[in-house]
Amino acid sequence: MTQGPPPAAISPAVAEAAIGERRRTFRAEHIKTLFSRYKILALLVAIALLWALFAHATDGDFLTARNLSNLLRQMAITGMLACGMVFVIIAGEIDLSVGSLLGLLGGISAILDVQFHLPLALNIAIVVLAGGLVGAFNGYWVAWLRVPSFIVTLAGLLAFRGILLGITGGVTIAPVSRPLVAVAQSYLPTVAGWILAALVFATLATTQMMSRRKRAAFNLAVPPLWADLARLAVYAIGIFGFFAILDAYRGVPLPVLVVIVLLGVLTVMARRTVFGRRIYAIGGNIEATRLSGVNVQMVKLLVFVLMGVMAALAGISTTARLAAGSPSAGSLQELDAIASCIIGGTSMRGGAGTVFGALTGALIMATLDNGMSMLGVDTYWQMIVKGGILLLAVWLDVATTSRR
Amino acid sequence: MTSPYLLEMRGITKDFAGVVALGGIDLRVREGECVGLCGENGAGKSTMMKVLSGVHPYGSWGGEILWRGEPLRAASVRDTEAVGIVIIHQELMLVPQLSVAENIFLGREPHNAAGLIDFDRMYIESARLLAELRMGHIDPTQPVSRYGGGQQQLIEIARALSKDAKLLILDEPTSSLTSTETATLLRLVHDLKARGTACVYISHKLEEIEEIADTVTVIRDGRFVGEAPMGELTRADIIRLMVGRDMSNLFPREAHEIGDTILQAVGITCLDPDNPARRRVDDVSFSVRRGEILGIAGLVGSGRTELVSAIFGAWPGSHSGEILLDGRPVRIRTPRDAVRLGICMVPEDRKHHGIVPGLAVGYNISLSVLGDLTRGGLIDEARELSDIDAAISRLRIKTASPLLPIANLSGGNQQKAVISKMLGPNPRILILDEPTRGVDVGAKYEIYKLIFALVREGLSIIMVSSELPEVLGISDRVLVIGEGRLRGDFVNDETLTQERIMAAAINAQPISELSAVSHS
Ligand SMILES: Nc1ncnc2c1ncn2[C@@H]1O[C@H](COP(=O)(O)OP(=O)(O)OP(=O)(O)O)[C@@H](O)[C@H]1O
Ligand SMILES: [Mg+2]
Repeated sequence: MTQGPPPAAISPAVAEAAIGERRRTFRAEHIKTLFSRYKILALLVAIALLWALFAHATDGDFLTARNLSNLLRQMAITGMLACGMVFVIIAGEIDLSVGSLLGLLGGISAILDVQFHLPLALNIAIVVLAGGLVGAFNGYWVAWLRVPSFIVTLAGLLAFRGILLGITGGVTIAPVSRPLVAVAQSYLPTVAGWILAALVFATLATTQMMSRRKRAAFNLAVPPLWADLARLAVYAIGIFGFFAILDAYRGVPLPVLVVIVLLGVLTVMARRTVFGRRIYAIGGNIEATRLSGVNVQMVKLLVFVLMGVMAALAGISTTARLAAGSPSAGSLQELDAIASCIIGGTSMRGGAGTVFGALTGALIMATLDNGMSMLGVDTYWQMIVKGGILLLAVWLDVATTSRR
Repeated sequence: MTSPYLLEMRGITKDFAGVVALGGIDLRVREGECVGLCGENGAGKSTMMKVLSGVHPYGSWGGEILWRGEPLRAASVRDTEAVGIVIIHQELMLVPQLSVAENIFLGREPHNAAGLIDFDRMYIESARLLAELRMGHIDPTQPVSRYGGGQQQLIEIARALSKDAKLLILDEPTSSLTSTETATLLRLVHDLKARGTACVYISHKLEEIEEIADTVTVIRDGRFVGEAPMGELTRADIIRLMVGRDMSNLFPREAHEIGDTILQAVGITCLDPDNPARRRVDDVSFSVRRGEILGIAGLVGSGRTELVSAIFGAWPGSHSGEILLDGRPVRIRTPRDAVRLGICMVPEDRKHHGIVPGLAVGYNISLSVLGDLTRGGLIDEARELSDIDAAISRLRIKTASPLLPIANLSGGNQQKAVISKMLGPNPRILILDEPTRGVDVGAKYEIYKLIFALVREGLSIIMVSSELPEVLGISDRVLVIGEGRLRGDFVNDETLTQERIMAAAINAQPISELSAVSHS
């Protein structure tokens, strides 16, 4: 072949230099990618800023161990819902019924306790089972009867609240027994807290080191050792700091412990189980997943079952916290849960999101609630601010992920 | 400053997070010239065109682009469209629910003084444009979804032309077109050339390059290999430049043993999900033997995909008929049933049915076998990764890492990953619907070799293909489908030719006459 121009393939060195050149001239793009890669970090920074702001405005009252413990307890219920909601959204669906469902299940729990005097363990078992069944009901309508989840759960939002009003007669069910109240009001002893902290850290450290070995064995990029060690140091500070604060006031509250356990279990489920992987696959492309031989309807159903179980835990916690079954419990909580997931980086289009992100989102929401209440900000302002923050968070997310 | 070239791209470099996709490529286009851009899957053709069209904005790549001798520094597709560079992407980008005219004028809708869309003008203009392109049969008021993939491609071109393109970029435009539609498209490009529109034409079908290109530029692994006038090159030359070695035999036929009948489909009928009065497949029966390669030929839209989807349990509409596996009737209602029975399918529409775009290449591959990779309820990561590694090297999938999202791979490599995925469950029968669509010559060869390796292990292959040379090149037996009916069932011997297959597909010769030559 006679070649038109000389074979002007540029030498690798020149190519490399050209790439380096543009690196320097293209800072904005760089910051964007940094931001989108370390989104979680950005969220944590946001929390730190908010805490600093509130601490300043309340002359330090915000940052007392007592208040932080209180804040985490407030966050726990939204957190439980967010733990389920994040998978619903990753699977490409939505659940608007969880606020009402929380109320209904909390109400059932109160009735079982106050009117039937069931022992706590049985009470919890029944309510969790009921939550799972209602979730399966929602999931069946969505997966097999192909009614959009928005509609199915909108119907649930109305109907579950209606059932709750019916069975309670619209009045508060009280007083609930001591053991049930203890679910929300008891604390893990300090020693146990420290052991737990050490366990959590040890697990994280070993998984990280094992993952290094595994990545090396399969020729995957291994992050530099210092980066991993630095990350572990951050974890250590975070974990031990967290427990130290809680221990400075009465210890780890039980609902917070539940959320920590959920975080661990559900993260493993998301990353390491077949079910978890399939949830992401379905959210990414349900048709391709179905054609790979996956029973996508069953996966969807189970995602709603998980959501129902989370609503049950949240319902019991709410009843325990209020020491009563209230017919209005959980109103609008579904929106807080959805907002938490979205702020925490879950994609509304499905296929992406993490439990840790969703819980971080829940912590931001709780921080706003708690801080503004301490400052005596009017409720209407609180709502406006939360709406604004949600919008801002999603805008930042959209603006920093590349266009394609 | 004048330049003989309409467009000059010099030493273009582009990397994705440190992985070099383009390592200094030159491309030059004269006024009114058609340049064929050739290269293997993942060579960087699409990336090069995305750089040119502003999809990758100035600053995210290195090198220089000169448009009529002036530097072009586009921040977005808008900027390049403003100077007359229009790209038609590998994947279709129409809005199916909108009308043809609305799609053509999307983003530039003509409006009247009150700010309302001037539909009359839009329809008239569209109709004029379509007629000019000899596509008068397309009704601009109808939704795009009414037309098949091929027609949609032509509509995309009409849209490009309505933007007054000086340089048209066509990235694998014919990969989902029938041969008639391909001919129409090529004629269209000829017409455009005559009117002075330059174009860059990317295709893995070299006969199209031969027909349309004035100059050919070849790239390999992100590097410039050479440029020459088409007249000085043969097809073999282009292949050699692309692959880096000689490839004399395109179809690596290998002897293999054919055993007993394994699958029988009896009286398969598929109804259109939207219009149950219409039979997409009408009473088709056939059988496949162990170790056999059964080619299914026919025009696009003749019902081949519907037929194989029904067998795989994936046809959305209602269907009837019986499927016998080893002589025993089986019920296949979902793809899951099929996979469990040892029947796997690689679907035709890779983007919508094949890949989960956001998921890693490796996790796409393991999706079909995940259930078998667990230990104590958790996915055994080490086993999963080593299986993935094995699959990637078996089909030579080109990816920077097994954990890269599959959407970042080139089209052909995505296809290989989908094939890997469906080999995972160790099927006895593998259905391949257009397996080499958008796949380069070298990789095609590898896929054929793989097919032969599989049948030697005793697998049966059902391959739907619109490329007759491919059907004739590797099948043992060929079914011809036309308008939803079985029009022929031929043993693939020397007497079977493309002409005979086409004749069977197009005209309604009585089957009795055909079966005289066909194999029982
Ligand atoms: N967004 C991206 N992120 C990471 N890598 C990418 C991205 N886009 C492309 N690549 C890589 O760049 C290389 C070139 O891809 P490109 O799509 O240009 O190939 P191609 O020549 O068009 O191939 P095909 O014929 O298969 O379409 C591939 O190795 C691909 O994996
Ligand atoms: Mg391409």
